Amino acid sequence: MVILENVKRKLGPGVAFSCEAFHVAQGSRTALWGPSGCGKSTMLNLISGLLRPDSGTVQVDGQEIQNLSESGLDAFRAERIGFVFQTFNLLSPFTVLQNVILGMRFADVRPEKEWKDRALTMLERVGLSHRLNSKPGTLSVGERQRVAIARALANTPKLIVADEPTGSLDPKTADSVMTLLLDLCAQEAVTLLLVTHDKGIADRLPGTFDCTGLVREEAL
Amino acid sequence: MSLWHIAWSYLWNRKLTTALTVISVALGVGLISAVLTLRDETQRRFEEEGQSFDIVIGAKGNPLQLVLSTVYFLDAPTGNVDIEIYESLKGHEDVTGLFPVGMGDSYSGFRIVGVTRDLMDFTPGGRTPYTLTSGRYFETPFEAVIGANVAEDTNLELGDTFVGTHGLMASVMAEVHEERPYTVVGIMERSGSPNDRAIFCDIQSVWDAHSHGDDSGHESDEHHHHEQEITALLVKLASPAIRFEFKDRINRTSNAMAAIPIQEIQKLYEQLLGTAKLVLLAIGYLVVAISALSILIGLYMAILQRKRDLAIMRALGATRGEIFGAVIIEAFWVTLLGIGAGWLMGSAVCMALNRYLVAQVGFHVPPVRISADLVAAYSAVLLMGLVAGILPAWQAYRTNVARDLAEL
Repeated sequence: MVILENVKRKLGPGVAFSCEAFHVAQGSRTALWGPSGCGKSTMLNLISGLLRPDSGTVQVDGQEIQNLSESGLDAFRAERIGFVFQTFNLLSPFTVLQNVILGMRFADVRPEKEWKDRALTMLERVGLSHRLNSKPGTLSVGERQRVAIARALANTPKLIVADEPTGSLDPKTADSVMTLLLDLCAQEAVTLLLVTHDKGIADRLPGTFDCTGLVREEAL
Repeated sequence: MSLWHIAWSYLWNRKLTTALTVISVALGVGLISAVLTLRDETQRRFEEEGQSFDIVIGAKGNPLQLVLSTVYFLDAPTGNVDIEIYESLKGHEDVTGLFPVGMGDSYSGFRIVGVTRDLMDFTPGGRTPYTLTSGRYFETPFEAVIGANVAEDTNLELGDTFVGTHGLMASVMAEVHEERPYTVVGIMERSGSPNDRAIFCDIQSVWDAHSHGDDSGHESDEHHHHEQEITALLVKLASPAIRFEFKDRINRTSNAMAAIPIQEIQKLYEQLLGTAKLVLLAIGYLVVAISALSILIGLYMAILQRKRDLAIMRALGATRGEIFGAVIIEAFWVTLLGIGAGWLMGSAVCMALNRYLVAQVGFHVPPVRISADLVAAYSAVLLMGLVAGILPAWQAYRTNVARDLAEL
């Protein structure tokens, strides 16, 4: 599902990301684990097409993305990737329902007439049917992350990339959000890549990739 | 959910900033709307009135003063001319309408205009500025037909009497013709013309009032007249094409002066009001330009504050074009709302000025009407708004998704 080979990306003066090989299978759930600054998020950005490698190959769902045009990357992200962020990243002017619909609107992967039904279904599955018309600012942090999960899965993506999805949550809420995320990814047969520095969270996923040392200083 | 809806939601999300920007655009648009409407309407009404008569003949002096005093009842007459010129033009083959005018008295600041009865049946350009709303036209001397403004301001009603005072301005020092009261026999319908401010009577009344004045001893008055004088002569020609030739002939062959009303009015517009209009329009466009700058700054700041949202949208699959378009649409909404609010402001200004203009010159100014000039002005404002949106939109277009998400 995801293959990185000899990927290099310069991050700043004398600092670079380098990954010789990384493979995950379709439908797998893998934690990208490591300490802060080790390159976990950079790896996630390279896989999701938010960053381009300077060299090497990034293949997702059978497509090499490193040479895609800007619009090609837009389409790739829209069709195949679902994002869950640490800070939820809901759009504040819009309601819960509109936030989920917006994901489908930009991705444009299903007919417009299905947007609302799909959004309602996903919000019901994350237990937020009663907050459809609420603005994100009125939700608890746990509820916000559940909206973000519903939005990420609404497009039926091939891959969910979750960057520290429980980083802003208290342990109890983090646990319930993790359970929800893992269950939904399993139900939807979506591949999950989850970035975390928390070993306990990483251990809840079947696979773990240790990112320690992916970012290092280059020899002058 | 369309880009229009998305753009509107972001504007609504920052209502105060949006409202202030809209108001700044509205101020400029309001000024432009009011100036264009006032220009168009006053010019149209002045020209309409100016077209009523092809030629005005009066005493030698300033032709514009002659036109303003006899057609618009705005200025002092240039003097009197011998009635002989009236007699000489009667039956002239080029003349289809000939109306003598005698002025010299007023009531409560409204001019008493002595004319012949046939002027009341005159319908210049198909208009009927002498239509009565009640009563009848004058038939004998010292019967008066009053304009709508006169009736409103003086509360004169049918059957009421009043006395004229010497001179055309209201003054407590003016001589009052107590012995020759006028009786109101007709009240005119409001026509939005200078007639609203006039009191019409048979020209014989004016002659009689002043003959009597001579008898009662104000021989020293420089305005005293005798029956053989008129203040002016309003002339309708068989064809407007012969106006210049006719005017030249009168000026060359008589002691009187002929003027073409429409020519004088257009000169006045070009020389005086034209410049004033340009200055006001320039101020209006300057305000709009400043408003455009405020749109630019407002949107630019909003984009800086919204980098995260833009990055999220891009991560969700929004294309650069959609992000650019959404910001341009925000500029469009702000400008459009500004134009709408400006139109209302302009109408409010026109309504406020309408009261003044009705009282001063008898012209009604309607609320801002959509004219070709106004559409062009609004289009220019809209274009300025859209151009102001380009820089912020470009900033949004260049969103670096990974960096902006990482900066959260």
